[in-house]
Amino acid sequence: MLDLKQLAYERKNRMAWLIVASLLKGVAMIGQALFFVWIADAVFLKDASFREVLPYFGGLLAAILIRAASGYAIGRTGVNLASEAKSTLRTKLTASFAGNPLQASVQGQSGEKVSLLLDAVDEVDAYFSKYIPQMVQSAIIPVLLLIVIFSQHWVTGLIILITAPFIPVFMALVGIKTKEKADAQMEKLGRFSGTFLDVLQGLTTLKLFGRAEQQKQVIKKSSLDFRDATMEVLKSAFLSSLMLEYISMLSMGIIALEIGLRLVVYDNLTFFTAFFVMILVPDFFNLLKDFGSAFHTGRGSAAAAKRLAAELEKERQPVAFGQAEMPEQPFAINVNALSFQYEDGFGLGPIEIAASPGSRLAIIGKSGSGKTTLLHAIAGLLPLQDGQILVNGIPRSEIAETSWFDHLSYISQNPYLFAGTIKENILIGTSQQTSEEELTEAARKAGILEMVYSLKQGFETPVGEAGRGLSGGEKQRIALARAFLKKPSLILFDEPTSGLDLYTEKVLQEAIEELGRDATIVTVAHRLHTVRNSDVILVLADGKAAAKGSHEELLETYSPYREMLAIQQGGVLQ
Amino acid sequence: MKELKQVMLLTVREKRDVSIAIFFGFLAGIAGVALMASSGYLISKAALTSQMTILIVMGACLKLFGLVSALSRYAERLFSHRATFTMLSNLRVSFFERLEPHAPQLFQKYRSGDLLARIVGDVESLQNFLLRVFYPPVVLGIVFLSTIFFASFFSFTIALVIAAGMMLTIVAVPAVFAWRQRKIDSATRASRAALSSEAAEFLFGFRDLKIYQQLDTKEQQLAAFSKDYAEQQRKVGLEENLSQSVNGFAALLVSFFVLGLGTYFVATDQLDGLYLAMLVMISLAVFENVPPMAVFPAYFEDNRKAAVRLEEIVAEERNKGKSLELSNGPLDFKLEGVSFAYPDEERPALQDVSLTFKAGTKTAIVGPSGSGKSTLLQVLLNIADVDSGDVAVGGIPLQKVRQESLWAAMNVVLQENHFFYGTIRSNLMIANEEATEEAMRNALNNVQLGHFALDMKVSEKGANLSGGEKQRLAIARALLRSKPIWLLDEPVSSVDSSTAHAIYQELFAQGKGDTFVIISHDLSGLEQMDQIVVMEQGRIIETGTYKEIMKRQGYFYGLKQIEKSIFA
Ligand SMILES: Nc1ncnc2c1ncn2[C@@H]1O[C@H](COP(=O)(O)OP(=O)(O)OP(=O)(O)O)[C@@H](O)[C@H]1O
Ligand SMILES: Nc1ncnc2c1ncn2[C@@H]1O[C@H](COP(=O)(O)OP(=O)(O)OP(=O)(O)O)[C@@H](O)[C@H]1O
Ligand SMILES: [Mg+2]
Ligand SMILES: [Mg+2]
Repeated sequence: MLDLKQLAYERKNRMAWLIVASLLKGVAMIGQALFFVWIADAVFLKDASFREVLPYFGGLLAAILIRAASGYAIGRTGVNLASEAKSTLRTKLTASFAGNPLQASVQGQSGEKVSLLLDAVDEVDAYFSKYIPQMVQSAIIPVLLLIVIFSQHWVTGLIILITAPFIPVFMALVGIKTKEKADAQMEKLGRFSGTFLDVLQGLTTLKLFGRAEQQKQVIKKSSLDFRDATMEVLKSAFLSSLMLEYISMLSMGIIALEIGLRLVVYDNLTFFTAFFVMILVPDFFNLLKDFGSAFHTGRGSAAAAKRLAAELEKERQPVAFGQAEMPEQPFAINVNALSFQYEDGFGLGPIEIAASPGSRLAIIGKSGSGKTTLLHAIAGLLPLQDGQILVNGIPRSEIAETSWFDHLSYISQNPYLFAGTIKENILIGTSQQTSEEELTEAARKAGILEMVYSLKQGFETPVGEAGRGLSGGEKQRIALARAFLKKPSLILFDEPTSGLDLYTEKVLQEAIEELGRDATIVTVAHRLHTVRNSDVILVLADGKAAAKGSHEELLETYSPYREMLAIQQGGVLQ
Repeated sequence: MKELKQVMLLTVREKRDVSIAIFFGFLAGIAGVALMASSGYLISKAALTSQMTILIVMGACLKLFGLVSALSRYAERLFSHRATFTMLSNLRVSFFERLEPHAPQLFQKYRSGDLLARIVGDVESLQNFLLRVFYPPVVLGIVFLSTIFFASFFSFTIALVIAAGMMLTIVAVPAVFAWRQRKIDSATRASRAALSSEAAEFLFGFRDLKIYQQLDTKEQQLAAFSKDYAEQQRKVGLEENLSQSVNGFAALLVSFFVLGLGTYFVATDQLDGLYLAMLVMISLAVFENVPPMAVFPAYFEDNRKAAVRLEEIVAEERNKGKSLELSNGPLDFKLEGVSFAYPDEERPALQDVSLTFKAGTKTAIVGPSGSGKSTLLQVLLNIADVDSGDVAVGGIPLQKVRQESLWAAMNVVLQENHFFYGTIRSNLMIANEEATEEAMRNALNNVQLGHFALDMKVSEKGANLSGGEKQRLAIARALLRSKPIWLLDEPVSSVDSSTAHAIYQELFAQGKGDTFVIISHDLSGLEQMDQIVVMEQGRIIETGTYKEIMKRQGYFYGLKQIEKSIFA
């Protein structure tokens, strides 16, 4: 469990400050009341002249100043405390997102995760900026006030001592109920953000299907549901402050009655004491009331903290990497009895592959047969369930992650373009310094240079979200340029030319050919002619290897391959 | 203030709850003041006389005012919060309403994280408008005026001091801080949006970041953004704290002066000493209500910014003048000299395009990547408004046709389709709400996804589906609609050819007699299309049946030759 209290107590200096400032504030409050009463008493009953009470005004002003200043110091400390705590939490959270393996990263909704990072952490703010300072104040100042009240008029002190404990009891009673509701509430808020981002991104789709109106109703309904649920939580919070208010009113009423009785009937109490106590008692209860509302805010924070903890403590199964450097290139890649299983469903393997250095391997198979999954497993994006990947005989699990990825390029089936310029999107492919020539050369090989030059801003054109739109094939080619820039020794291509016309494809094919001179290439392809020259073609069916061999071998021995070729040549539209 | 007009209107809509809340807010405030005033008066009175009646009156008054104050506070909170959340719901809906027409172009202007921050965050922050901006000055104003009125019976000067204090704490100090807030330019909202954008992209681009080992860099960037955000928030927090302290100090100062003047008047016999304690108590009590005004500047500025940022997105109106319904007859498309350039682009994406898509015919559009095929589809979808030339559907100028009525006649598969977090069922139902279980199963079978359970989970953006499965699911959606016009943009580019072949057969069987417009890079098998359109650099370079354009021995013929050499 994420312990917010711990997080606050760790910052000892700030806590010490809070305690000192609270003490000061308490003393100032007492001083202020004292001077008020002195002055009123002097002129009202003792017929003092204005000049006589003037020094008291000086004292009163000082008390007011100290009270305001220490209040400011407390608030400031709270704000700083919150700011630090939030930064710590956000850092932890991003580290946790970054540490996710691939298959976990696609679970859940991104909007919900963003909301976790923004809203949930912000929700925790109140715990540090409101609850903790209030808690410290409520632990110190009321005690000071009570001591003074006891010293002045012990009966009042006794009445307070008897009535005040009812407050925490009621608060706890209501609080328990609130907590559950607040938890549910937080979750709802997260869910709304999650859904909303999804809806936003799919808005075009929704509109094309004529569902925008209905979506509006969904938003309306979920907002109203949210309202009703929140009102439930708030109602109990309000109820608890009503109780608080009521108890303090009752208590003050009794005190006033008792004091009045002594003033009027027994005449054994001075106006000074009576007025002094009557000013201090509301202060005492106000502090408790403030604590009550801070307590509720703290409850909301606790619910958010729970959500954060759930994310931070998620178990994850990382891909195993070691410490060793990659061996000399080019690589022989051997895949031994590799298998992998998605949590609930598709299973891959066991798969055997032997690719000699600099060779070309192709993976084909029906849609959904596990080609991309296999590529992910080889690339080290998915944890193997079983089996091994050997690079020149060394298990990949012994190779350092950075060294492995330094030598690898992976062009995925649907590459993501980041919000940034075309140049930035290509340069992301390598961590090395790159010259202008290298960049243009990579773009040329990927067949996108001409298009880039036709743009007003050339390589500096912003693309991705909030950037210029691109055609499907253009996006694909920009992603391809990343591989041409890096010149890796192991390249994994997932349908690199699926959205391209034959002519562009041919140009690219030649460039890939060139790239393959010093590299081992694994290509997933549906267009069989693009992988005809591969050394080995692996046919996947339902996650298992159905056949393996060169184009000629497969033609001879594996009839489904022949059929696939025939269909392709006859045309799918036929 | 004019930025907040929209919110103001929405607030006024909840006038019942708002006025009830204001009434109870006033009652609670004034009862609190009365409570303190009566206790001050009665103590003084008690010190002078020894009548039992005083005691009884005292007890009764305290109880009454206490109870009224507590109960009114409760009611006030209840109604004001209810109004707030209803308003929030209205805000969301009204914003969504205005946002929706901007849909296809939205992500070219804004990043999704930014939009999320605006729509969820900014809208959410506007919910504070009633509670923190509109409401406190109103209620406080009334409470103060009544108190001042009451105090003026005892001492006009002291009433003036309280009035001055009121001006100070609910007008002057908040105004100064509001002005400061604007000057510091609390860029909180903007930095929040930046963090949100980065975070969203971090999640969406996770795989590519991982592969290119940019996760660390991005993580650091994210940390920098979050630090910036925290710093902005800290500034706002400190400012708020300062404002709170100054306001609190000002309130105490007023009590100080009330006491000072009161003392002076008593000492010089201008005021009965009996009322001194009461007046002091009044000033203490009435200023206890002031703290909400301390946070007013921050919320006011925050709300103003949020409103501006929201307004930015939806400012210009879209799709004006698209109001005609489609005619009932067969829907053919006629394009005459159409040109279209994307906003801020020099080079047009379509140039002088003249084409006819007759109802019930099948057209294939081919051409190199970036030649304008998908753009042509956007024109047919009435999303892209052409710069010159005429487009007509069923004889009606397309630009005047209501988009929804056109789309209601179409089955569309875009080059990139969105899948929602949910199940296969929920993703299919989007296409056709009334689809039966059986129809959905059929559609899945027809795209060879029969092994999918309808209750199978679908991750956001269909991340747990293979590339081809996503395309096939999109086709299944189109099949469920079975409208007479099919627009398909490379619908099977990631599907293996035998599956693709089977799917096309199914499509043509189900869509017999329908109009098909298919964009494809696959040149084989085009013989059976009624029309082939070849595009290059936004122009139409060849049209006709397969035989006709092969005979011409132009671009298409050249491509066919490449194909032949590849297959050989
Ligand atoms: N939103 C946009 N803003 C500016 N230019 C765009 C936008 N979308 C596309 N373009 C440009 O318009 C031209 C035509 O794009 P379009 O998407 O129509 O190509 P396409 O023929 O569908 O290509 P592909 O086969 O690669 O999908 C391209 O040069 C592209 O860069
Ligand atoms: N993240 C995931 N979680 C669960 N199941 C998944 C996930 N990703 C893919 N699958 C499932 O695993 C199977 C294989 O998917 P994969 O992406 O490897 O297919 P593919 O051979 O690449 O297909 P295509 O040619 O259509 O791209 C599919 O049935 C798919 O639904
Ligand atoms: Mg795939
Ligand atoms: Mg396209």
